[in-house]
Amino acid sequence: MSLVAEAFVSQIAAAEPWPENATLYQQLKGEQILLSDNAASLAVQAFLQMCNLPIKVVCRANAEYMSPSGKVPFIHVGNQVVSELGPIVQFVKAKGHSLSDGLDEVQKAEMKAYMELVNNMLLTAELYLQWCDETTVGEITHARYGSPYPWPLNHILAYQKQWEVKRKMKAIGWGNKTLDQVLEDVDQCCQALSQRLGTQPYFFNKQPTELDALVFGHLYTILTTQLTNDELSEKVKNYSNLLAFCRRIEQHYFEDRGKGSSSIRSS
Amino acid sequence: MAAPLELTCWGGGWGLPSVHSESLVVMAYAKFSGAPLKVNVIDNTWRGSRGDVPILTTEDNIVSQPAKILNFLRKQKYNADYELSAKQGADTLAYIALIEEKLLPAVLHTFWVESDNYFTVTKPWFASRIPFPLSLILPGRMSKGALNRILLTRGEPPLYHLREVEAQIYRDAKECLNLLSNRLGTSQFFFGDTPSTLDAYVFGFLAPLYKVRFPKVQLQKHLKQLSNLCRFCDDILNSYFRLSLGGISPAGQETVDANLQKLTQLVNKESNLIEKMDDNLRQSPQLPPRKLPTLKLTPAEEESHSLQRLSP
Repeated sequence: MSLVAEAFVSQIAAAEPWPENATLYQQLKGEQILLSDNAASLAVQAFLQMCNLPIKVVCRANAEYMSPSGKVPFIHVGNQVVSELGPIVQFVKAKGHSLSDGLDEVQKAEMKAYMELVNNMLLTAELYLQWCDETTVGEITHARYGSPYPWPLNHILAYQKQWEVKRKMKAIGWGNKTLDQVLEDVDQCCQALSQRLGTQPYFFNKQPTELDALVFGHLYTILTTQLTNDELSEKVKNYSNLLAFCRRIEQHYFEDRGKGSSSIRSS
Repeated sequence: MAAPLELTCWGGGWGLPSVHSESLVVMAYAKFSGAPLKVNVIDNTWRGSRGDVPILTTEDNIVSQPAKILNFLRKQKYNADYELSAKQGADTLAYIALIEEKLLPAVLHTFWVESDNYFTVTKPWFASRIPFPLSLILPGRMSKGALNRILLTRGEPPLYHLREVEAQIYRDAKECLNLLSNRLGTSQFFFGDTPSTLDAYVFGFLAPLYKVRFPKVQLQKHLKQLSNLCRFCDDILNSYFRLSLGGISPAGQETVDANLQKLTQLVNKESNLIEKMDDNLRQSPQLPPRKLPTLKLTPAEEESHSLQRLSP
């Protein structure tokens, strides 16, 4: 969105309270959604739960095309549509709910830096694994991505998306990385997160923030998704405080409200 | 450890040892960790490679990207992060990710995509260091690569328009600069008193933005308002890079000391001269005689006496 549109949206957002019928759109849970999109969607759901805002999850096959920025998930609140965690956090803040108000300037800078670390390393590694690793692409991604569409559309869309992701990987310098190097980067990222978390319950001690939501979304999805091999989840399992962290958030925010997150099984 | 380490990178200008961010990061890290690095600047002969710069060559290996080069130097025991705690190491990774995501697109845009800057500053500078006829092709290719990177990471598929992302990337970059400034505060380096990897990265990305003279300078203006970041860059330039630009550092230090000594001597001599002149003036016969006929001085006469003494 351009700057003017964003300012306009936040003005309107500030005017109305959070409605009861807010919905979050993502792709079809059972057959279509991929690892990275599921992680992003779970992060947004966790964030909204932490803010105590009710949200209904709706699955649509064309969620990616409905979204204003082309990325899932997006939320439909009142008559506005906002996509991706960053803009959603700002939108929610304009409505008067925020998790990071109690942090001082240095802590806010740290929080933003760690969120970028997760986006830069974990998300890119997930995209790499899904779209650039031939075995995963062949067995899982291609089949899942195009599953709601008839032949030949399913193949065309899958190839187009793969080409796009590969272009992006090349532009940021990940095009020549091998799978082992990518897994090593994931390990480094998890180590950094684990060291930052230490023995605290959340990243900024007592209260969860959007960083906790984002980390939970990614780590939980990695741990509960079955891929062709378990290397990615093994890397995360090496860090026991991260596992405890995921379990704690799951128990506190998801199981208590009667919603269980199911794991994705590959076909 | 004794193997000669050679770094091939782009040269310097405007007071910087190198104008290219990634080369500067590696050079700064080598200075901080004490690695003996022989720097080969790319010039317009056909010698040496130009792609994927900076490149570190030792006897057996060729290592190419800054992150890999820094890892290699650490393995060779040139470690600038030795004193950091685990949490600080984690913070380093996070802040580097922040810089790469938020600041790098705007830096790339200022250097390579903004047409005024590109055609008046960047392209002639790089073209003068690349042999003809590559000088016609390579800068254009680097510019396209930068544009690609910006659009693919920030643009919205499938249209990828530059105008929509321009405002946003500059806004993100200004926010990133503010965050870095908040984090640095008043300390000399990011983690205490010794520089580390994070300082090398921040210096590498900020210094070209700070020093290179551009026609279109909105990000530079914003940076100049953050005085602690400017002071940070200047400190590193003065302590680690000023002497090596001229020659060998110990000799440089000696000449500075010698100059300082000469200056002090001159000042001392001058002050001696002034004192002498003053004494001469006081003893000259033009001043009224100090000796009064009576030995006992009344208070009024004493006052006038002291007043006379004070006049030049």
